[in-house]
Formats: sequence, structure tokens, C-alpha cells
Amino acid sequence: MASKSDRRQHLERAATYPIDWLEERSGLIGGLRYFLFRKVPGDTNWFHTLGSATLTAFLVQLATGVILAMYYKPDPNSAHASIEHITHDVTLGWLVRGMHKWGASVFIILLFLHMGRVFLFGAYKYPRELNWIVGVLLLATALFEGLTGYLLPWDQTSYWATVVAININGTAPFVGPFLASLLRGGAEIGPDTLARFYSLHMLLVPGALIGLITLHLYLVVRLGVTSPPWSDEAAGEGPPEPTKPARAGLVRPRARTAVRGRPTE
Amino acid sequence: MSSLDERRARFQQYKRDVKERGKPFYPYAMFHDTVMSLVVVCVIVALACIWRYTDILGALTGPAADPGTRTFVPRPDWYFYFLFYLLRIFKWPESVILATVGIPTILLIILFALPFVDTRMERRLSRRPVAVVAAILVVISMGVLTYKGATAKEAIASEVEAAVPSWAKKQGFQHNPEALAGAKLFAESACTNCHTYLGTGSSNLGAPDLSAEGAKGKGIAFQIAHLKCPSCVNSGSPMPSFAALGEDNLKRLATFLEASKGGK
Repeated sequence: MASKSDRRQHLERAATYPIDWLEERSGLIGGLRYFLFRKVPGDTNWFHTLGSATLTAFLVQLATGVILAMYYKPDPNSAHASIEHITHDVTLGWLVRGMHKWGASVFIILLFLHMGRVFLFGAYKYPRELNWIVGVLLLATALFEGLTGYLLPWDQTSYWATVVAININGTAPFVGPFLASLLRGGAEIGPDTLARFYSLHMLLVPGALIGLITLHLYLVVRLGVTSPPWSDEAAGEGPPEPTKPARAGLVRPRARTAVRGRPTE
Repeated sequence: MSSLDERRARFQQYKRDVKERGKPFYPYAMFHDTVMSLVVVCVIVALACIWRYTDILGALTGPAADPGTRTFVPRPDWYFYFLFYLLRIFKWPESVILATVGIPTILLIILFALPFVDTRMERRLSRRPVAVVAAILVVISMGVLTYKGATAKEAIASEVEAAVPSWAKKQGFQHNPEALAGAKLFAESACTNCHTYLGTGSSNLGAPDLSAEGAKGKGIAFQIAHLKCPSCVNSGSPMPSFAALGEDNLKRLATFLEASKGGK
């Protein structure tokens, strides 16, 4: 008996040792524990999953993008052939490219849905204004990621769409012509443009997205998740009195205090 | 307008409420997140499979890019269709900059400003009529513009070519071989994907109608220079360069354009 529990203790110690070691030196385990066991409002629902769904779509893009980069050749003479090779010859290449191509659309759709949810829930209001701004930056950066990725297959549609997109960029007052020649890497769309778009698409823009997403998540954890605006009604205590403001809190408003009883505006 | 003190008090109340009566993220909320993430991955894989095994989502690969090409369709990815279609509404050159730069910039500024303009604490939709109406209008207008952009038709080269003899008749250049050759080039070179000419073609990207281009008296030299580098002559023009057609072809195109006085 004694030896058995001894062994158990040894095992437990061996299992927790690396965790304790890491925690003592980094505090990361405590951070993870805080992230996992932090309290969220009791009535968070499926609408609240749109943000993490968007993150999942982004992670799919990262994983498939890394694999595509192993086979893709950012050179006008071989770009289109390498796309053909990925699609038709490489084992499951069609799946990886298909997931990347269609995952981009799913990512953009989820971004818009998540944004719509945040807007309708009023979740951009104090003190979450900054996180809304980070979200708008994420949207703009993601659209730019889509624009730079569109040229890479180097087919007729993507080539001419990019010609027009860059020309449109050039119409902007003051910075337009500069921006256009920066994107083109010269006077004409050619090898330099493709290499430039490739670098932007797989280094700079995803890096910016990762940074912005990290900041976005930090602010979510720091400020907490907004409960649905119908929280009050969900409590089942009948409709709120007209003079009372929307509760910022939770489902079960058993202990209403005077603080929450103040009129709006 | 809620005062800052009031908003701070409300947020403190929120934090107390969550602490007292909230549920831990793991496993409750995380369960929903995990299920939803699996759904997302499955949808992406399903789309890839539909794309691979059916024709519903279009071809696997398109023809390789050819900068010297004569036919092309400048079509962006679907999430830029609204902008693509907006360019049809604003006519080049007077107002096209509104669509290309103005509207996206204004939209971005509105989005950034939103939390500073709407500072009320009220979050219930029944008490936010302006927000609800704005949301509905945005969804409808983006939906309509995206749909219109998706269904916008490009002119088919063979159909356009069939119209060349009738153009020659209406414009009266039947006996000018140079202009006739130019008209044929015009029909082949996908000009009508953006420009209209005597009712043929589609006015994409705000490109002007060219039926009466010759009546402006710009001259053949101007037309050639413009075709070579549109934005050099007309600053801000989104039209691509057609220098790849070669000097002779450009001269024919220019002759054709100058012979176009509006028709009868």
C-alpha cells in the first residue's frame, strides 16, 4: 500500500515538475490558468463564438499558407506553372490550395459577421473603444492581405484585376502615385511586383495581423466579454422598468442595487 | 450622453457581476468556441472539395497571365465587388475619385469614429433606432452592390466583333480601312469590358462612352499617347496601358477613335 502511494507521489511529482519549472521561471502557467478560468458573463452564447471562429479561419490560412509557400515560385515565368503543379500533381495539393483559396473568403465573411455582432451588441462602447479600433484595423489589414494574395496565382483574372487595383490606388490625392509605384516596384507590373506582393502577403501583412490579433485578444481578456444586450429580459423577471438603463452585467439580477437604478442619459 | 463617472461605475458593476455570477471560460464558453471552430474548418474543407470535384465554384486554374494580351476581364475578388460596382455609378473622370478613394476613406473614418460618436451606455436594440436603421441600410447597400458587381456582364468579344460593320455604317468610316482595322482591334482588345460604344459593352470602373470620342478633336497623336500610358495623359486614370499592342495597331485604334463622331 505504502509503496503504491509512494510511486503515485513520485509520478505526480515527475508530471508536475516541468510545469512548476516553467511557472517558476516564466509565470506562463499562471497566465494560461487565468485565461482559461477567467469568468465570463453567464449568458454568453453562440453569437460570442464568431470571434474565435474568425481566429480559427486565420489559423487555417497560416497553416495552409506555410505549406503553399514550400511549393510556390514567386516569379512570373514559373508562378502559374507552380500553381498548376500544386493543384494537379502534389499529393493533396488541391486540398491545401483549395482550403487557402476558400478559407480566405470564410475569414472575410466571419470578420464581417463578428463585426456585425459587436455592433448590434453595442460591445464597442466604453471601455472597449480601443478594441473596436484594433478590430477595424484588422479588417482593413485582412482586406489588404486578400488583395496581395489575389495576384499570386498569376492568371489573367488576377493579373488584370491587380493592374486596375494598383491604378485605382494611384488616383488617391498626394500619396496615390507614390503608393502605386511602391506596390508595382517600378513603372510596370512585372517580376518585381510579384516578388513584392509575395513578400507582403506572407511576411509583412500576416505579421501585422498576428500582432493586431494578439492585442485584440489581450484587450478582450483584460476588459471581459460583453453580455448580450437582452440580458435583462433573459433574467425572466419581466421587462425592465422604463427609467432603468440596460444592465452592463449578467443574467440573474437578483441583487439590484441603487447604482443600476439610475436613469439613462 | 452618459457621464464618464457613470460609465466607470457601470463597468465596475459589470466586473463585480461577472466575478460573482459569471461562469469560467473553460469549459463553458470554450465548449461553444471549440464546436464553432470545428464547424469553420469543416466548411473550409467542404468548400475545397466542392471546388475540386464540381464546377459550382469555378475552374481550378485559369489561363496564365499575359501582359501582352488583348482580351481580359479586370474582376477583383468578391469582397471588392461593392467597390467594383461603385465605379460604374460614379462617372470618370469628374467623380470617379469619389468612388475609388472618397467612399472607402469615409467608411473607414466612420468606423474608427463610431465608439466616440455613440457614447451612450444603452445597448438594447429597441432603444438604438439609429444604430439599427444604419445597420440595415449598410447590409442592404453592401448586399445590392456586391450582387450587382457579381452579376455585372462583360461584353463577349465575338458579339462585339459582329457589331463592327454596323458601327462603320453609323459613323460613316466604311471606306477607311485604317479605321475599320482599328474598330476590329477595339472589339478584340476587351475595350468594351469597361467602355461602351454605340450601345455595346459595359461601363465598368466608370470608364466613359467612346461613341463620340472623335468629336472632341483631341487628335491621333493624343489618342496614341493616351493608349500607351493613360495616367500620363489623364492623371488619375485607372485604365491599363495598351502599349503592348504595338505602334501600328495603336495608330489604327487612334484612327478609329478619331473617326467616331457619335453616329447617326
